[in-house]
Amino acid sequence: MHGKLIVVDHEKCTGCRQCEMVCSVFHTGASNPSRSRIKVVKWESVGCYLPLTCQSCEKPFCVEVCPTKACHVDEENQRVTIDKDKCIGCKTCIIACPFGAPLYDKAEKISIKCDYCDGNPQCVAFCNVKAVDYIEADRINLAKKREVSLKLAEMLRQTR
Amino acid sequence: MGIEVKLPATPAGHPADLPVTSQEKVLKLIRPQREWRWEIAVYLYLAGMGAGAYIIGSFLIWLGVSLTPSRSLVLFGVPLNLTYAALLWGPILVAIGAPFLILDLGKKHKFFTACLNPRTSWVARGFLILSAFIVLGLIVLAVSVLSPERSGSRNVLWFILEMISVIFAFATALYTGVLLKSMKYTPIWNTPLLPTLFLASALSTGSMVVVLSVMSYGLFASSGHSLLPLIHGVIRVEQIFILIEGFILAIYLWAVYRKGSQGKSSVHLLLFGDLKWLFWGGIVSLGFFFPMILESLYSQLPGYPMLLVLTGLFLLCGGFFLRSGVIAAGIKEQFPMHRFVEAKIRLAVTEKKIQKGIGSVD
Repeated sequence: MHGKLIVVDHEKCTGCRQCEMVCSVFHTGASNPSRSRIKVVKWESVGCYLPLTCQSCEKPFCVEVCPTKACHVDEENQRVTIDKDKCIGCKTCIIACPFGAPLYDKAEKISIKCDYCDGNPQCVAFCNVKAVDYIEADRINLAKKREVSLKLAEMLRQTR
Repeated sequence: MGIEVKLPATPAGHPADLPVTSQEKVLKLIRPQREWRWEIAVYLYLAGMGAGAYIIGSFLIWLGVSLTPSRSLVLFGVPLNLTYAALLWGPILVAIGAPFLILDLGKKHKFFTACLNPRTSWVARGFLILSAFIVLGLIVLAVSVLSPERSGSRNVLWFILEMISVIFAFATALYTGVLLKSMKYTPIWNTPLLPTLFLASALSTGSMVVVLSVMSYGLFASSGHSLLPLIHGVIRVEQIFILIEGFILAIYLWAVYRKGSQGKSSVHLLLFGDLKWLFWGGIVSLGFFFPMILESLYSQLPGYPMLLVLTGLFLLCGGFFLRSGVIAAGIKEQFPMHRFVEAKIRLAVTEKKIQKGIGSVD
């Protein structure tokens, strides 16, 4: 996989939901988080917040189940994209996605998902704590490995 | 709006103070899908029931059954013979059900594009399977009405056409379950037992449709008594299908429960949660319990055909509630981050236990 992807860090997220707001403003012109392409899952009682958006899976199940080929992998940047003109609003992709990334837009009556705001994701630009980032796909693994190593080191330090 | 996982209030105000088992329950994101609703349930129900009725009707015709005395009807000057129509009208039910899929679409006028990806999409495959069955079934029905001497004849080409239409009827009945089974992240749907259950339900409701339509034909042709042996024969077959369906339903729920995680949550939701009335009242009582009791009553009191009509209505409602219940109980598997949060909180509970010196760590 190549190209840039949106990566989230739940440790940094404060649950302010600014990302939802700016996303809806950018895409619909109105501040309406229900039409946002990014959703913050909240575990309020334990103070855990997780912004969720399309993971651009290598084998996207939403693409597999789409009956009209509206949901497809863009060959240019290897991202999963929904063609608004082809989508018939059958909601199969929403049920199929394990992350619940595509959402049903009641106003447009089609499935919608993150389109990376034409290369300048607004959620990333407006996230004050940098819980949402937009980085090269091949760097994600490196970042994850580093994160796991740091956690492991921390655990070892605690057990000593 | 953000998605919030609600945790119950605890005396200490923190879920970490709950026992570990309760923790596991409350932290799961138990949010059944709401994307597919009653429209899809009606679509799957009518498709299964129509296909089941057609299968039973075709087998009866192959066994040499015909509704006698034959009765004709003249419509716009065209004589229509209804001798086989009561056995072969299943495709009409499927054709009535298909628009419900369109009703569920956001862009209804583009429904015809729903068949563009049959290589991987079961919605597209279903579109083609149902279309083929409706066309073939309606041809067979139309020929049986316009030229009844052809139905039940030993003409090879005609038999091949009938055979292909019955194969598509089986495919339609199975498809209703396979569509849900193809959703691999929803444990209550993603099991081969679901297409089997829906096939059994299609055959039981389909045979009841045949019983009711033969009874109606009997009233129409004033030949109720001569059709009684046929009705009793189909009822016996239908009772066997109900028993098989009940057996498969029990194994299905047990197998899904054994999958653990959200499979367990779905079964819990159906049996004891928000859907318990639908399950125990609609599926178990109307679909299995009452039909069995009323049919045994009817065998004691054959002079009361209303018992049979009531049985039929209950059974058909039960079939619809079965689809509705299974669709409404669809809960997706938790994604890794959910599991991570669960693990984190479980760790907090364990640490708390150790600090308090309660028991050993699991």
